[in-house]
Amino acid sequence: MNNIYAVQPVKVIAINQESIDTVLIRFKFADKKAQTEFAFVPGQFMQIGFPDWGECPISICSSPSDANIFFELAIRDVGQLTHKLNDLKAGDIAYVRGPFGNGFNTDKFIDKELLLIGGGCGLVPLRPLIIDVIAGRIKTKKTQIFYGCLNEDTLLFKKNYADWNREAELGVILDQPTKNWKGEQGLITELIKKRQISKETVTVLVGPPVMYKFVIKELLAKRIKPENIWLSLEKKMYCGVGVCQHCAIGPYYICQDGPVFSWLQLKDISGAI
Amino acid sequence: MKEGDKNQLVFLAEKLFNNFKTYAPINADERLLIAEITDPLLVNWSGKLPENSWKLLLLPPTEKLFDHSGSQIKETEFKIEPTVFLGVNILDLRALALLDLVFSNDKYYQRRRREILIVGFSNDWPNGYKKLKLFSHNYEEDILEHVPFDIFVAQIKDGKLKFYSGSEKGQKILESYGIKKFDHIEFAGAIPEAGPDKRMTLLMDKVGKSADKRLWQDLGKICLACGKCSSVCPTCYCFDLSDKSDVNNCGRERRWGNCFYNDFSKVAGGHKDLDTVAKKIYFWYVHKFVRIPFGYRVPGCVSCGRCAKACSVGIDITKNISALMKGK
Repeated sequence: MNNIYAVQPVKVIAINQESIDTVLIRFKFADKKAQTEFAFVPGQFMQIGFPDWGECPISICSSPSDANIFFELAIRDVGQLTHKLNDLKAGDIAYVRGPFGNGFNTDKFIDKELLLIGGGCGLVPLRPLIIDVIAGRIKTKKTQIFYGCLNEDTLLFKKNYADWNREAELGVILDQPTKNWKGEQGLITELIKKRQISKETVTVLVGPPVMYKFVIKELLAKRIKPENIWLSLEKKMYCGVGVCQHCAIGPYYICQDGPVFSWLQLKDISGAI
Repeated sequence: MKEGDKNQLVFLAEKLFNNFKTYAPINADERLLIAEITDPLLVNWSGKLPENSWKLLLLPPTEKLFDHSGSQIKETEFKIEPTVFLGVNILDLRALALLDLVFSNDKYYQRRRREILIVGFSNDWPNGYKKLKLFSHNYEEDILEHVPFDIFVAQIKDGKLKFYSGSEKGQKILESYGIKKFDHIEFAGAIPEAGPDKRMTLLMDKVGKSADKRLWQDLGKICLACGKCSSVCPTCYCFDLSDKSDVNNCGRERRWGNCFYNDFSKVAGGHKDLDTVAKKIYFWYVHKFVRIPFGYRVPGCVSCGRCAKACSVGIDITKNISALMKGK
């Protein structure tokens, strides 16, 4: 019988400081066969950690098309374990389980107008989708990417913006930028209000719960249907397989039934966002 | 009870005791508790529900999953002696059916479970369990078809014993002990043939839509969030994974979690989703009455009433369920 708690070693092959508090790490499984057999869908996450330090869930942020060669995680330094993960160097070993969760059903985006909304480190789970849309692996009718962040220091994946802007409409808005910022200023909801968004748009939101409340209100005001609003949630987790109860909301487990849910599924669940 | 039948019960307990590590309800300091027995005559055959739950033997409060040595991670080895759970009440068999479903892919649970012989007991016909005042689900005439056991002993009219086997292992054991008169009952899965229980389904809807009810705020004011209800509940199985790094004991452990404790939902940075007692109680009820029925189609509460007996401030689940059913 397989052990659902068994971890596998992964080696750091590249590391890049993405923002003031977040590193982008490229990992390769130590076991070649494990790497070639590895597969995931955008929106799924890994449990990563070290012996004696525990594990934490982190969304995969590379493209599934590279899954048999490597995978990437963008890890924000917010607690003891993520601090240690931020200290990793090329060649270091960490231990993973996964992938876990349902991920995005990308069939729902094909030939549709797609709007991806990221708040802060919520851009991380959206990156596999963005890469695949830009590369033409997910063929949409139109793609808009709205990204709201605190300031220039916390912006993620800056090097990719030029590419993203060529193939999609990228809007970046900062809440508290420096004087040098030439882009838009305000909250993500400002961007939604200002930009042209069709009511047939399929939207994907990833960000802090407080963002969901306000963004969903704006999207519904634009007459976007609840079943076309997709969210990715996060909560405390241990098992990753829908047993330990820590990530439960209403009848669902974020680790197993989510992390991706439609607003239709969540709107009547107390405490979901 | 006829002398002959009483002797047969003692005979069974003795036989099992000689061949298995035996756990059974026993009287201890005027309490009825599940414990390992040192004498087969100590078994309490009242058929009453013990204060503690069998889960503590299937999912120990702390359990090592992996041993760490340097960068080496090794699955923790353990041996389970052939064990018998003797005198398991029907409601506890229902809880066992749920645990078997929830932990079907869990290597540690399964390794332990397959070494355990389950001997159920009722001091009535099996379908007499309705006297236990069920509030979480409806009574089932053919209950033994929907709960897991190897052997079941029913102490029927005048103390006469009726034996059932529920597995090949149970059949062989009964026959080897010279007990030839028994009926075999094939386990048909935990869900009744007619579909999920109707009262359970109704409660799922009522509890699921009750987040704004005053009941939770009222309970939140009196509940101490001590977590005793979770400890004794036969279907509370939540857990934490915790890494230990003592010099001589490094590794990953699974330990009982408790949704009433502050660290249950606490994440890095200090945010807690369950930041009031009212939210914690509601979360506990949603697990029993919404999440388990939704995920497994079986009741998440078996109506044992242990939580009400354990509660220091008198919170009674039967009263709360009755209030919710009345739309209060």
